[in-house]
Amino acid sequence: MSQPSSDEVVLETQGLIKHFPITRGIVFQKKVGAVRAVDGIDLQLRRGETLGVVGESGCGKSTLAKLLVGLEKPTSGAINVRGQDMTRLTGGALRRARRNIQMVLQDPYTSLNPRMTVGDIIGEPFDIHPEVAPAAERKQRVRELLDLVGLNPEHINRYPHQFSGGQRQRIGIARALALKPEIIVCDEPVSALDVSIQAQVINLLESLQDELGLSYIFIAHDLSVVRHIADRVAVMYLGKIVEIGVEDEIYERPTHPYTQALLSAVPVPDPTLRGQRDQIVLEGDVPSPADPPSGCRFRTRCWKAQEICASEEPPLVRREHSAHPSACHFAEERNVVHAVE
Amino acid sequence: MTDIKAEIDVLPGLDSSARLLEVEKLQVEFHTQVGIARAINGVDLHLDPGETLAILGESGCGKSVTAQAIMGILDSPPGFITGGAIRYRGVDLLKLPEEQRRKVRANHIAMIFQDALSALNPVFSVGFQLGELFRVHRGMSRQDARKRSIELLDLVKIPAARQRVNDYPHQFSGGMRQRVMIAMALALDPKVLIADEPTTALDVTVQAQIMNLLAELRRERNMGLILITHDMGVVADVADRISVMYAGKVVEEAPVLDIYARPAHPYTKALLESIPRLDLKGRQLNVIKGLPPNLTRIPGGCPFHPRCGYARDACLADPPPPQYQVDPVRTARCHFWTEVIGNEPAVK
Repeated sequence: MSQPSSDEVVLETQGLIKHFPITRGIVFQKKVGAVRAVDGIDLQLRRGETLGVVGESGCGKSTLAKLLVGLEKPTSGAINVRGQDMTRLTGGALRRARRNIQMVLQDPYTSLNPRMTVGDIIGEPFDIHPEVAPAAERKQRVRELLDLVGLNPEHINRYPHQFSGGQRQRIGIARALALKPEIIVCDEPVSALDVSIQAQVINLLESLQDELGLSYIFIAHDLSVVRHIADRVAVMYLGKIVEIGVEDEIYERPTHPYTQALLSAVPVPDPTLRGQRDQIVLEGDVPSPADPPSGCRFRTRCWKAQEICASEEPPLVRREHSAHPSACHFAEERNVVHAVE
Repeated sequence: MTDIKAEIDVLPGLDSSARLLEVEKLQVEFHTQVGIARAINGVDLHLDPGETLAILGESGCGKSVTAQAIMGILDSPPGFITGGAIRYRGVDLLKLPEEQRRKVRANHIAMIFQDALSALNPVFSVGFQLGELFRVHRGMSRQDARKRSIELLDLVKIPAARQRVNDYPHQFSGGMRQRVMIAMALALDPKVLIADEPTTALDVTVQAQIMNLLAELRRERNMGLILITHDMGVVADVADRISVMYAGKVVEEAPVLDIYARPAHPYTKALLESIPRLDLKGRQLNVIKGLPPNLTRIPGGCPFHPRCGYARDACLADPPPPQYQVDPVRTARCHFWTEVIGNEPAVK
């Protein structure tokens, strides 16, 4: 879909960890545990590439997004953007570095201030980063941005409630583009939208990528949408990446049992396949990230689990039966998307 | 207990040979500050025992309002049923006095909602809330009601039901809460179950569990199931028939295989072409241009004409397209359904 990505790495995380403390007591707070929301993430994003991040709720994908744009401070680990570790920067240097990595939020109804006009919303980044656009040019820049995302530049003085959901998400995208970033983190950008509107926003994101050479981290729980837009896909479970690879590898040749279960659970809009698809129905729920299982975190719901899975955590590496990195001792290809019994 | 049940089953005019559920020319209006919103403009539906009917549509198309009208839980005001009939085994529910209507709910027609956490009462244990149905509707003792509640939790496969019956809704996960809702809906053995977006708030792996459970219970009890959703994938997996709604009307109704293979209404066709599919890569997503209409100002003629590629002058003119009979089991509200079903290119 998008232009071929180059080898130039624009964003890299190393051992990224975020633990939220669980405390007890009111005046003297004692730490009694930690929610391991993100627990050691290594990933790379190349120029012009879209990296999809999928997983169920509570797997840490939104925390990862917040860490990447600097809305949360990591417990440990590094986020390198163009060779600079974002987690070590402070003051003006951090502010300048943040220009380069912007975010599109999930809910276009709550993420736009209802008392600000669209022009003020999209122009607000210029107040914080005045060096990007001189005051005299700001209005013009906002008009250009509105035009870029397919909205009428005449509507600059309207308020968010005068727009529909899809148009609001375009406003959110225009705001993210205001500072000319190289990287945009999209956290569930289309999940609040109706299907007919969803396609409009996905197509917009794709054409902006081609036009501006953007790199996307595309976080979503909808695996079909991710397949459509992503070049590479990372599957997260309980704060860790369990499998990562190019889109074809993940969807056509998944090797981690969790990925296989996740893919097989997605309903395919084709009634002729009903009852013929190889469906893996997982038992139970995701364990609490405050107290993850020992060894492999998926073992409590896994049909392949053996003793080694409880004692030894499988690293995310290439394996004998997996050409792409997979964190399973018993990684093995199984095509669940097209499988017909 | 059987006596009480028998007494409740006696609804005046109940005719077991009549259709299980039939909605005819239903009209619902909402009186809002900006005018009258015509949420439902003549909806026709029917449902037989053991059948799954999916009502498919985007937000604001009237699918939830239809369900609320059938259930008799429409907020009124602002909502008013201004016309039509809802017949359950021949009894027009809209003409029943409220006391009778209340007996129909839960005993004959039950509903599960999208957001189980807000549909359950947070200050009572799930056992109490389930038991309440038996105590109020069946006059059971606390102890018997509790026993039945545990059986129900078992039925919907909640592990360790005996212990969990005293837990509160917040102590359950999203999937488990939805199971509690299903248990509650099934408590009094209804013949019709309406599921309004039952899995939209859930993860895919849990969604699969819940949909399998619903299908199993429907089969076992030979219930009619109305599934309201916007997810064309879920529909393809479970529905027997589909009614596609747009701007308060059923624009197409057809058996599931037909509608996916050869849609007869341009809206259905466009919807199918605009969803990304897990098993297909590199397909350009078709876009439905424009927005769904404002329900206070529904365009004249066919309400879909401003967004439709097949639209021409005939579509702008009133009256709006009637229900054309595509074949004995299919209808479509489009003047040019033959072109759509033949997959002829759009005119613009």
